[in-house]
Amino acid sequence: MMSLQTEISFELNGRPVTVTVPVTMKTLTMLRDMLDLTGTKYACGEGECGACTIRLDGKTINSCLMYAVDCDGRKVVTIEGLKSGKHLHPMQQAFVDNGAIQCGFCTPGMIMQADYLVEDNPELSREQIRRGLEGNICRCTGYTKVLDAVTSVVESSE
Amino acid sequence: MQEVSHYLAPHHLDDAVRAMADGDVTVLCGGTDLAPQTGAHQKDYASTLMNIRRIEGLEEITLVGDTCRIGALSTVTDIGNSLLLQDIAPVLVEAADRFASDQIRNAASIGGNICNASPSGDMIIPLLLLDASVELASWTDAALRTRSVALHVFFTGPGKSVRQDNELLTAVSFTRPAAGFVAHFHKSGPRPALEIATVSLGVGGVLEDGVLNNVRAAMGAVAPTPIRARGVETALEGRPLDAGNIKAAAESASIDAAPIDDVRASAWYRDHLVRVLTEDVLNDVLANGN
Amino acid sequence: MNGKTTIACIEKTTLIGQRVRKPDAADKSTGKTRYINDLILPQMLYGKVLHAGRPHANIVSVDTTAAENLPGVHCVLTGKDVAGLKFGFVRDNVALKDKVRCEHDEVAAVAAESEEIAEQALGLIRVEYQDLPGIFSPEDGRKEDAPLIHDGFPGNKSLHFEFRHGDLAAAEAESDIIVDNVFRTHHVTHCCMGTSCAIADFDNNGKLTIYSQTQYPYNYKMDLAPALGMHPGDIRVIQPPVGGAFGSKLDVYPYEPIAALLARKTGHPVKVAYTREEEFRSAPTRQPAVIHMRTGCKKDGTLTFRSADVLLDNGAYTSWGPTIPVVMMRTVSGHYRVPVIDFNAQAIYTNNPYAGSFRGYGNVQTTFATAQQMDMLADRLDMDPIEFHLKNAQKSGERTPQEALLRECALDKCLTIAAVASDYVNKRRQFSLLRGTDIRYRKGIGLASSIHNAGGAKIHKSDGCGTMLKVDDYARVTVITGASEIGQGIDAVISLIVAEELGVPVEHINIMNNDSDLAPWDVGVHASRTTFIAGEGARRAAIKAREQILDAASGFSGIPAAELDLRGGFVTRDDDGSIVFKLEKLLRKMHFQPEPELVMVTDYYEPKSEPEGANHISDMSAAYAHAVHIAEITVDTWTGEIRVDKVTSAQDVGRIINRAGLEAQVEGGIAIGLGFALSEDMQLEEGILKNPSFRDYKVITAPEMPQLDLHFVEDGCAEGPYGAKGASELPTIVIAPAVANAFCNATGVRILNPPLSPEKVLRALIQFREKEGGTVNSRAAAAAS
Repeated sequence: MMSLQTEISFELNGRPVTVTVPVTMKTLTMLRDMLDLTGTKYACGEGECGACTIRLDGKTINSCLMYAVDCDGRKVVTIEGLKSGKHLHPMQQAFVDNGAIQCGFCTPGMIMQADYLVEDNPELSREQIRRGLEGNICRCTGYTKVLDAVTSVVESSE
Repeated sequence: MQEVSHYLAPHHLDDAVRAMADGDVTVLCGGTDLAPQTGAHQKDYASTLMNIRRIEGLEEITLVGDTCRIGALSTVTDIGNSLLLQDIAPVLVEAADRFASDQIRNAASIGGNICNASPSGDMIIPLLLLDASVELASWTDAALRTRSVALHVFFTGPGKSVRQDNELLTAVSFTRPAAGFVAHFHKSGPRPALEIATVSLGVGGVLEDGVLNNVRAAMGAVAPTPIRARGVETALEGRPLDAGNIKAAAESASIDAAPIDDVRASAWYRDHLVRVLTEDVLNDVLANGN
Repeated sequence: MNGKTTIACIEKTTLIGQRVRKPDAADKSTGKTRYINDLILPQMLYGKVLHAGRPHANIVSVDTTAAENLPGVHCVLTGKDVAGLKFGFVRDNVALKDKVRCEHDEVAAVAAESEEIAEQALGLIRVEYQDLPGIFSPEDGRKEDAPLIHDGFPGNKSLHFEFRHGDLAAAEAESDIIVDNVFRTHHVTHCCMGTSCAIADFDNNGKLTIYSQTQYPYNYKMDLAPALGMHPGDIRVIQPPVGGAFGSKLDVYPYEPIAALLARKTGHPVKVAYTREEEFRSAPTRQPAVIHMRTGCKKDGTLTFRSADVLLDNGAYTSWGPTIPVVMMRTVSGHYRVPVIDFNAQAIYTNNPYAGSFRGYGNVQTTFATAQQMDMLADRLDMDPIEFHLKNAQKSGERTPQEALLRECALDKCLTIAAVASDYVNKRRQFSLLRGTDIRYRKGIGLASSIHNAGGAKIHKSDGCGTMLKVDDYARVTVITGASEIGQGIDAVISLIVAEELGVPVEHINIMNNDSDLAPWDVGVHASRTTFIAGEGARRAAIKAREQILDAASGFSGIPAAELDLRGGFVTRDDDGSIVFKLEKLLRKMHFQPEPELVMVTDYYEPKSEPEGANHISDMSAAYAHAVHIAEITVDTWTGEIRVDKVTSAQDVGRIINRAGLEAQVEGGIAIGLGFALSEDMQLEEGILKNPSFRDYKVITAPEMPQLDLHFVEDGCAEGPYGAKGASELPTIVIAPAVANAFCNATGVRILNPPLSPEKVLRALIQFREKEGGTVNSRAAAAAS
């Protein structure tokens, strides 16, 4: 009993990729189960926690809600696509330096969202960062060092 | 659970509504409602799954003459960032800011939000204040037809609307409000957003010399559908917006609302919030209306 | 020619108290880290569980034929496949049930080639149930005519604990003030971001390797074995990185033996992973408690007695939840100096989900009561509130009625520091003056403190931790510790400690602790013990290695070992830091000499504490610590919403080792405690969870976190590594009553049942106005009438 599949082609972390997916599969499942990109996490599957955050055509979305077929012709960036070269991306480095990572399960989604926030508004205040991260749940950190990390990126770009 | 046997992603509206002619189509857009609902088996797929995200011409927000038209594919983020809407209907921007989370705003389409017909539709409240109408397109008698339905008669029950299975919502539009129209939207809860409203509420009107005219009031999560609060409108129409009338409006709001007990709150608490939010919104209107 | 070369010198520095990057942070930041949830083994099958979906029922029949015949299904198991394989603290559980006792009970399990097929197969299993009347509160469970949930537990009674000290009647008689309240705490759950997951794999010698999220790998083998009819020695536990634990993984839960049973039957590795909904329904909870507490004092503020009668909702099975009275009574007897104690706790089986261990472990519930009663007494006494707290605060060297020896006690300092930093006394007075007004937004300030184990807890035969350490020919260090890394940062702490002793960069230390075949025993991550015990074990091992190295260096250089030091990757003179050897060259010299010497050391550290005996009189931890929180809140008296604006914390930590890690644990602990206080609530109706998702189970999000002002008292600790004490549970324990006390300061209203959700707050305000004739929220009261 095969569910209907279709072929899609899109840009994934800067490279073209073509994959055949069941039409009702979500992007999160495609990334994790078919493309071996396990950095994006399943933590709720219903868009409430942000652990599955990726960039789609430059904007962050919850990949657990997005249908994989909708990636066709678009540009997807996951946590694995953030750093280029041997150094960590500045937001990743900021999280590491500020002690903002404990168990780390929420971290990829948190970093993707934080990076988007700062790109969208380089003069973000701490309050605005809080609001911007409202869709990313963390159970370990109490968010304080996450806010410190993001603030440090904002300040260093000034 | 039915299997999807046909998938399409049309680029033109004609093709989309033709595919919907037999009514056996599940429309896919951002997935922010479809994904959790099918995942929880609250909803079954039809035999055709149609992705409407690539239909051209449906994501613009325009003002032509006095008519503001928001394409169904505009996301909540598009609405929140729209300089046009900030200028002519800032209450929509206010509501967009309180909607779910950034990630959801970036994906949720206004068309999907309206068609989902949730009793607590955050974006629907301000649209009701603006006397908005929705545009429904279908392939009927071998041609593309559209009809307009006023939003305040669009919803028929939780998750239900007058949209037929062969119709696609293509836009929501409203007439640019008169000069002096002020409207505000409030949503209950300690979180700024990421919350299915326990109560959401908006009131607007033209404030002139302290008197409120052309009053529109709407509430969410206190009835089977989002509703116009007619009692509130009557209580305020043509009257000075002062403390006494604000209190009377809060009382009317309580009568207009028909809240239920559910996992989020009791009917008692919702009723109480309706009064408080009505006062808060009207105080905002008063403060910003001059 | 006399060309004298300048010899380089290295300054003595210390890492203790510095900020160290967590070793695994870089990989976690890039998504490279493979958590257990991300792992796939070759030929692996996917296991899924059929949950009962009803709270109490006999299983009349289970028909798995259609499921077994679905293509892609390799096996289906039910209760008959595990008959007699009981496990659990009191052996009241089995992996697959013969009777349903709570809604998540596991009735059948499927292993299939994909998750979709396994899910489909579940839908084909036909179960016939005979529903039984359910018990959903401990009060109902102990009624005479209550149905029995387990055979062999008459009266539905589970565990019972009591402790008495002194003459209660006499103490009551000499009290000028007695406060008497019933507190009722609720079901909350851990919400680890990584849902429950286990992968089981049998080899062809019949040995099991289980990839587990466990936080107590050695006793886990002992607890898992009976569920499988195996010997614990034949079980190997691999601990991949996990997405949180917070105590939830301190026991064996059915999905784990289920994975193993499916693997054994199919001959394939099997992975069982829960969805978030399953997680909400199936994961252990915090133990709900009905606490009838009474505290007395004299009019000069001296505490006279404290009594607590506790009724616990055991839930359907006995895990770690019903053992919390062991810790609860420590708070009742040790939170401030209380001469007379009366404690009684009874757990009653119900058809609700059952509790496990959760950060704070009974102390959260108890402190919610003790700290509020202290505040009530402070309200009623005619003295400065801080004076009242200080009057009853123990001093270093005092013993509690249970004989806990508070060797280094800094409660008084914590009280003073927090009170001064927050201007507590002035604000408390100012805010309370506004209670009689009708102002909508009220500010309140509340103080709470507590005491907790900070040097382990001897509740098992050993509270120790083993360490093995080697330094290789490149001066790279491997530390194999029994302590589990669950995100709390023991990897960073151990790296820091070993770097400190061996003078090598933190980055040159590799911590290995995820394979029970490799690593030595540790009792587990709980009781705030890991920095103290695993840290001290690592320190002792590092010192042994250091001594061996300096002895060898002495032999080669002729300089006495006592005059040598290890700094910056070198052996140096201790007095002036002048370099004697490059460390890695020395190690190769040691290795390749005629009688080779490799640096490989072991240690087992058992802290100096006494076992928690049946009479509960023992110094059961090697150290104790206190924390004080002062919460400042704003209450919207029209909607009932509480916003916590600021938390000032003063905590006795003995000595800070990794400053960044300690702060992170305090911040995270406060967030979990705030959820308990304000918004988290498992809404159970007749044993069925109505809000099994983040949409309606509200954990604290970024905008809701208050501003934090953290203070640490470092008065040392004789037993702990560099004087450090355990710290991670106190922040969760103390914050909730601080918020409740702030609420009372703002409004005059006490709420005894968390969470202080908006609706509950509003109802309480209205009720207060109606009873007391106050003017709080007259609008709401008028509306309600």
